[in-house]
Amino acid sequence: MIWVKLVFGGFGRRGLEAIIALAILILANAIVAGSLMVIQGARDAIARTAQNDRPDVVQVKSRFNRALFETPRGGNLPPLMLPVYEPLIDPDKFGAVEATVLARQSFLRNVVSGESFLNIYIFGIDPEKEPQVSTFSVDRGRFLRGDDAAVAVVDRASAKALGVDLGGTFPVRKADGEDLTLTVVGILDRLELRYPPPRTVDAPALSAGSSSVTSGVFVTLRTSEEIFARPTLTDALLVAPTPEAVPAVVGQLREAFRLEPGVFVSESYSRFRRKVQDFVLTLALFTALGAATAVLAGSFGANLLHDVYADRRRQAAMLLALGFRPMQSAMSDILFGLTTVAAAAVLGSLLAAASAPRQFAMPSLMAELGTIEPRFDALIVAVMAGIALAILGLGIGPTAWQVRRRSVAATLSEERG
Amino acid sequence: MTRPSIVLRSVSKTYWRGRQSITALQNVSFEVSQGELVLLVGPSGSGKTTLLNLVAALDRPDHGDILVDGLDVTRLSRTAAAGFRNERVGMVFQSYNLLPQLTALENILLPMVARRQSNDRRAVELLEAVGLSDRRSHRPSQLSGGEQQRVAIARALVNDPPLILADEPIGNLDDETAHKIIVLLSDACRQRGKTMLLVAHDREMIGPADRVFEIRTGSLMIMERKQTSSVSQRT
Repeated sequence: MIWVKLVFGGFGRRGLEAIIALAILILANAIVAGSLMVIQGARDAIARTAQNDRPDVVQVKSRFNRALFETPRGGNLPPLMLPVYEPLIDPDKFGAVEATVLARQSFLRNVVSGESFLNIYIFGIDPEKEPQVSTFSVDRGRFLRGDDAAVAVVDRASAKALGVDLGGTFPVRKADGEDLTLTVVGILDRLELRYPPPRTVDAPALSAGSSSVTSGVFVTLRTSEEIFARPTLTDALLVAPTPEAVPAVVGQLREAFRLEPGVFVSESYSRFRRKVQDFVLTLALFTALGAATAVLAGSFGANLLHDVYADRRRQAAMLLALGFRPMQSAMSDILFGLTTVAAAAVLGSLLAAASAPRQFAMPSLMAELGTIEPRFDALIVAVMAGIALAILGLGIGPTAWQVRRRSVAATLSEERG
Repeated sequence: MTRPSIVLRSVSKTYWRGRQSITALQNVSFEVSQGELVLLVGPSGSGKTTLLNLVAALDRPDHGDILVDGLDVTRLSRTAAAGFRNERVGMVFQSYNLLPQLTALENILLPMVARRQSNDRRAVELLEAVGLSDRRSHRPSQLSGGEQQRVAIARALVNDPPLILADEPIGNLDDETAHKIIVLLSDACRQRGKTMLLVAHDREMIGPADRVFEIRTGSLMIMERKQTSSVSQRT
């Protein structure tokens, strides 16, 4: 009980200042915590947008053109003219580009299924690299491996259209007129292909009404080269080391394909940058407001604490005179300050968490990034703890220095007057 | 001849107020025997409190040695000095220096709290000894000056230290209360064989003292032995 009274008692007229300091610190902590929560939520929104937009990815694609498709073996149908990417990209030209290359062959094929035939998109991909940018959710079986041959992974829609299941087979006509039998080793229940080709013909689709291809047969590049009898690519994605490196990568690609009029390079980094620029500026404003609040209110709180501690110098000196060790004497002051700033940090954080909206949208252009969900996390805890300790340090520092520098007798006689 | 409890050898202390130096003590030397009660008298600002603070290791001299029971207190660290005060010194301050948020009993217990040996029974006994058993739960603001000083005396005695240093314990009190306080202090020292340095403005309190030292402008001018009335000048 005596220790409790030593820590929290004996303020005299400074008691009111201690309470005011606590109230101001709670308010300041609430503002800082609220700003940090908005900043964290906004960072999440930017990260979410970056994840969706992938500004670090550069697309290289061939000219979109109509190609003649032979009528398959059965039936009495005329030849078809269907629009597809032309395979014009020489993969060797990516050698000088400083980025991860995700080569693709994206083709349309007529596949015989029972007594009919259907249009199916066949994608030759690099199974190790493609999941970096696209999402393949395997429902049953497994995904492709680098050393796979004559096997395919299909999504549910294409599997249903082909009438195959896991372990089943279906024939695909190769460029030389022979059939290649593909064995299904995996069924996908979700597929999000990054930069898919436009959907131009009637074909199976996982997402009805989408203007892009959302369903298809996935094979390794080696298998697709065997089917189409050529190593050139229809499109490719290049992942730059950082989004900021995209302009350099684009420059290298344009240089590499400057003599290829049918090859186009496109990037989303510029659009992404424009999109987030306002957002980042707004975040900077919030950060500045939070920092300014922390500095001003923190200084004020530290100053009030300093006044309280200055009055407690007499108690510290009295305790030393009675034989309390310096650390014992300091402990009562440290505990008081620590309790004050910790209470302010906890109550301020609770106030911010209780009063912050669950989600809100930024105005105008920034709304493109979606809603912001303010978030309280470990980083905010660390920042709040840092601010609390800084306030405590600034509040107690001068008094601790004076008590240490001066003799006990000098402190007692000074305070006596 | 009992062995000396306090030995001062050529102790000097100067304070600086801006660029102006104030000599509080100048080349002061004396010895106090164990169990002796010495009265230090002198006008205000003569260095009496400084002398007491130096003996209690609340301050350090510029020059000279101070030995208390053979221990050189001028060379103690802050932590060791605190331990020394807690174990060997009972201080009675002129302004009582009671903590306002604590009750009389808790104030008496403080030196024991410092050594983590709180003994309520001992504190209550001391409160009874100083005639304040009915005031144990009162805070300093609810006590008179004399009562506060008696609490301070009980606090000085609670750890049963061999040395009592009392800095003008009756300075703010009326004559009757002052007399009671002096009797209380001297009785406590006599009964338990404690050494006591008692600071006073004048010689009115000479009654119970074995010797009287007079300090003038930082120098120990006169040393009197009460019984023989012998006078020796040191400086």
